[in-house]
Amino acid sequence: MANLDVEDFIQQNRAVADEVETYRGYWESDKHWQPRREFILRNINDFEEPHVDQLLALSMVWANNVFMGCRYSTELLEKVKEMAEGVVVEDAPVFKTRDEIMKKQQGQ
Amino acid sequence: MGVPAFFRWLSRKYASIVVHCVEEKGKECNGVRIPVDTTKPNPNEVEFDNLYLDMNGIIHPCTHPEDKAAPKNEDEMMVAIFEYIDRLFNIVRPRRVLYMAIDGVAPRAKMNQQRSRRFRASKEGVELVEEKDRIREEIIQRGGYLPPEGVKERFDSNCITPGTEFMDNLAQCLRYYVADRLSNDPGWRNITVLLSDASVPGEGEHKIMDYIRRQRAQPNHDPNTHHCLCGADADLIMLGLATHEPNFTIIREEFKPNKPRPCALCGQTGHEIKDCQGTAREKQGEHDEFADSMPASEQEFIFIRLCVLREYLARELTMASLPFPFDFERSIDDWVFMCFFVGNDFLPHLPSLEIREGAIDRLVNIYKDIVHKTGGYLTENGYVNLERVELIMQAVGVAEDNIFKKRKEDDEGFKRRMKDKRKRMKVEQRGPAHMTSGQFAPQALGRRDRPEAVQNARHQAFDMRMQSNKDAAQSLKATIKNGGNSSAGPSGSTDGRGMKRKADDSDSEPEPEDNVRLWEDGWKQRYFKTKFDVDASDDDFRKKVVQSYVEGLCWVLRYYYQGCASWKWYFPFHYAPFASDFKDIKGMFTDFEKETKPFKPLEQLMGVFPAASGNFLPTTWRSLMSSPESSIIDFYPDDFAIDLNGKKYAWQGVALLPFVDERRLWAALADVYPNLTPEERRRNSMGSDLMFLGKSHPLFDFIHELYRTESQESTEIPAELCHGILGTLNLDESPILPDKLVTSPIPTLRDISQNSAIGVKFKDPHFADEFVFKAVLLSGAKMPNKVLKPGDWEKGNRESWRPQLGFNQHRQQAHLDQSGFRSLGHSMNRNQRGSGGQYSNTPPPNAYQQGNYRAPHSGGHQPFQHSRQNSLLGTPPSYHQPQYPRQQQQQQRQQQQQYGGSGGHGWNRATQSQPSAYQQNMSRGQAGQGAQGRAAPGGYQQRYDDRRDNRGGQHQGYGGAGRGYPAPPASRRYEWN
Repeated sequence: MANLDVEDFIQQNRAVADEVETYRGYWESDKHWQPRREFILRNINDFEEPHVDQLLALSMVWANNVFMGCRYSTELLEKVKEMAEGVVVEDAPVFKTRDEIMKKQQGQ
Repeated sequence: MGVPAFFRWLSRKYASIVVHCVEEKGKECNGVRIPVDTTKPNPNEVEFDNLYLDMNGIIHPCTHPEDKAAPKNEDEMMVAIFEYIDRLFNIVRPRRVLYMAIDGVAPRAKMNQQRSRRFRASKEGVELVEEKDRIREEIIQRGGYLPPEGVKERFDSNCITPGTEFMDNLAQCLRYYVADRLSNDPGWRNITVLLSDASVPGEGEHKIMDYIRRQRAQPNHDPNTHHCLCGADADLIMLGLATHEPNFTIIREEFKPNKPRPCALCGQTGHEIKDCQGTAREKQGEHDEFADSMPASEQEFIFIRLCVLREYLARELTMASLPFPFDFERSIDDWVFMCFFVGNDFLPHLPSLEIREGAIDRLVNIYKDIVHKTGGYLTENGYVNLERVELIMQAVGVAEDNIFKKRKEDDEGFKRRMKDKRKRMKVEQRGPAHMTSGQFAPQALGRRDRPEAVQNARHQAFDMRMQSNKDAAQSLKATIKNGGNSSAGPSGSTDGRGMKRKADDSDSEPEPEDNVRLWEDGWKQRYFKTKFDVDASDDDFRKKVVQSYVEGLCWVLRYYYQGCASWKWYFPFHYAPFASDFKDIKGMFTDFEKETKPFKPLEQLMGVFPAASGNFLPTTWRSLMSSPESSIIDFYPDDFAIDLNGKKYAWQGVALLPFVDERRLWAALADVYPNLTPEERRRNSMGSDLMFLGKSHPLFDFIHELYRTESQESTEIPAELCHGILGTLNLDESPILPDKLVTSPIPTLRDISQNSAIGVKFKDPHFADEFVFKAVLLSGAKMPNKVLKPGDWEKGNRESWRPQLGFNQHRQQAHLDQSGFRSLGHSMNRNQRGSGGQYSNTPPPNAYQQGNYRAPHSGGHQPFQHSRQNSLLGTPPSYHQPQYPRQQQQQQRQQQQQYGGSGGHGWNRATQSQPSAYQQNMSRGQAGQGAQGRAAPGGYQQRYDDRRDNRGGQHQGYGGAGRGYPAPPASRRYEWN
């Protein structure tokens, strides 16, 4: 789903799009929100009403991993990567996790 | 406040705010401990009314101490906490109220910090265990010895969070403790004890503030109550100032850097865990069993007198010729507010303001510079005037560029100096290329025991020659082996030989990479790009950050002056904006959402714990933290990024943890709430503050009557029964009642069969929501005596200034009489003969020169001592009038006659410089008799022990005993023949 497709989808499903817009975190910049929105829209059909929160959690797992450097279990990460297939993130930031820093400092 | 540097900065700049505590220790007689009688007057020569304990500052060191072995189980921890409180009670001896506050559920604004601490603590704990196991394995394989591993489980300090079983037990134990002391300790007989445990929402210190604020807003409050607050957090100083109570003192453990810590593996000090060798402990002397307990390992306490800080601040903040009347109380509030820019628990500090770089001084200067532009104060009663704050921020913003450049310069200068120092140290360690040994070994000058006459010189010379031959041969061999390139001459150094020299800068630490480079042009763009991952052109985003920060400043100030304005508000970013970004902030904040509620204890646990600490939660709740199907799984990453942010160690960096989405948290918990057991439901509910009294308290009968009539409604405390303290009482469901057995929750302690305490639920006085607590001095408040030396003291041409050291201006100085000085001089002499005092043998060069002045007529060769030495000896702390001024003067006159001293003479120079630096300045340049008299009255007594040996070694006795200061080391003496 390229950017144009996202726009198309939003045009055609205003209600869903407005609903999704309320899930935006206050701290999310456009650069972080747009890919996550796409992630949600791509998968929203697989998560009916009582399970939307689970989709949101998975979208956050993915976004936290990409934009904040958080690590989750391999199982979970593989799952969200699969779900995010097709979402393009340009120029994602690079992070060092705590474990990596500790390992490096111990190696000295 | 998360700024450890703040207290250090404050106590250095305003040194007189610190007063050391006098602590009376319990005595032991025939194995029976005799407790200290705390009904006696306070040995600190001040009486406190109320003692407030921020309990978390006590619980942490008692449950996982850093400087001694950890308690074995929970019972030992509780006993350690009791003992700690006893100790504080003994030092402070409150006469009216003892308030114990344990952190309850904190406002949401604090949650990010709590999360980051607990996620880190959990990881650090696991790492420590792993490292221990690894090294233990290595040592045992090498055949080393280690004490057997304790069976105990690792204490997870994360359990010190409201809602856990541990905190519930602690509350039970404290109730028992209070009942016991009220029944059995005479010092507690008349005091009112208030206990606010973890089930009452709010951070401990803020619950205390709420109590003080509400008491002083009601008409029966005694405006001259002397408050003493215990806790090490720097923000207690702010909170204390924010009360505007004239008598407010903080007590905390004395900060001692670099205390030796025992190795976590073998329990011995002197090495860290990674250097542990597993060697058996050597028997240390006859009393081996004491060798482990470090001398003076017990933490000392200090008082921080806020009334003295107020004096300092008055000097610093007072401004003349203002367009509006100057009000010191309001300028204090502004000062407190500006300190928040530098750091607090709720907001990250502004990148340009570092306390180590004098940020607060800078802010104060700006504040005074632009007061004409602002036209008034920045804050009022905890409400912020944003228009004026913007002016301050803009002024900081102008300097920002230079601050960053200077920071870089300082940083590099520091690194350069460190490198040079390391080089120097290396050279020093290596020592000179050739050193004579044996009888010819160099001897320090001026030592008492002179080298003996050389015997058998030829043989010695032969030995030395042989030794250096051997060395040379060895070094030659090494050179050959290494194919040349050895710099080792025939020196005695054996280390480093045969080793390849490392690259030159191998000892410089690796630098954390810094992509922001605040010292280079374009820093703002880079900062927003790397920290927020947005382009600097994204003005909307930047505005959002600034707006949140502005809200934050308003929230924090309100929190300190009025209480928690919103339990919900928090700063939703990991970094602060720049001061120069604060533009048009006037309209950015109006008010907070009303009627917000705190989290329930177990909800908050879900919000702050990592999955690894899930064992403190019910099973179904726990699985929300780990199951991939959980609808809040994103709150619990296994590992997270740390931005070192220019710092060196992981614990100093910013933990990039996701924020908690409250709506989703509650939605997820709604499903598992029914799974709580009744016990867990109780732990999850809000509790109440409790009040306890002993039988002889005037309020006792009143409360007892409430229980007898089983009064169901709330009752107000009659003000006349409890020192004007007001509040609402409600019956406790499982109360502590007189003559009812109180069972001990700790097996090693006995039940209280003769209980005479009573407990009841207590609620702070209620005020309407719109009520504004005024940040002013109360009428009738008497200001304590001034402590600082008045600025115009010299002009008044009065006697020399006597600094005040304790609470009491007219404190009696302890003294030694003549025979005391004799025995002191005697024993110090003897000590010196052995090893010499710390500085005894190394006079500074110019002192040496001046010191060899010879008295003109006396036959004895009397080298006089010069001043510089005194500062080396450690200045004695007190200069109160000596007990026998006349006698001392007389003595000095005699000496003067004896040595023919008169004005402008070496002798005069010597005596004048005896007192410490500050007096030295005062009396410098004055000569002759008059100056003599003035300079002499130090706690020192100085005389010549002519009787003992005619060469006249100089002794100094030290009169200021009574404070437990060690006498200064005996002065050096020269021998001149």
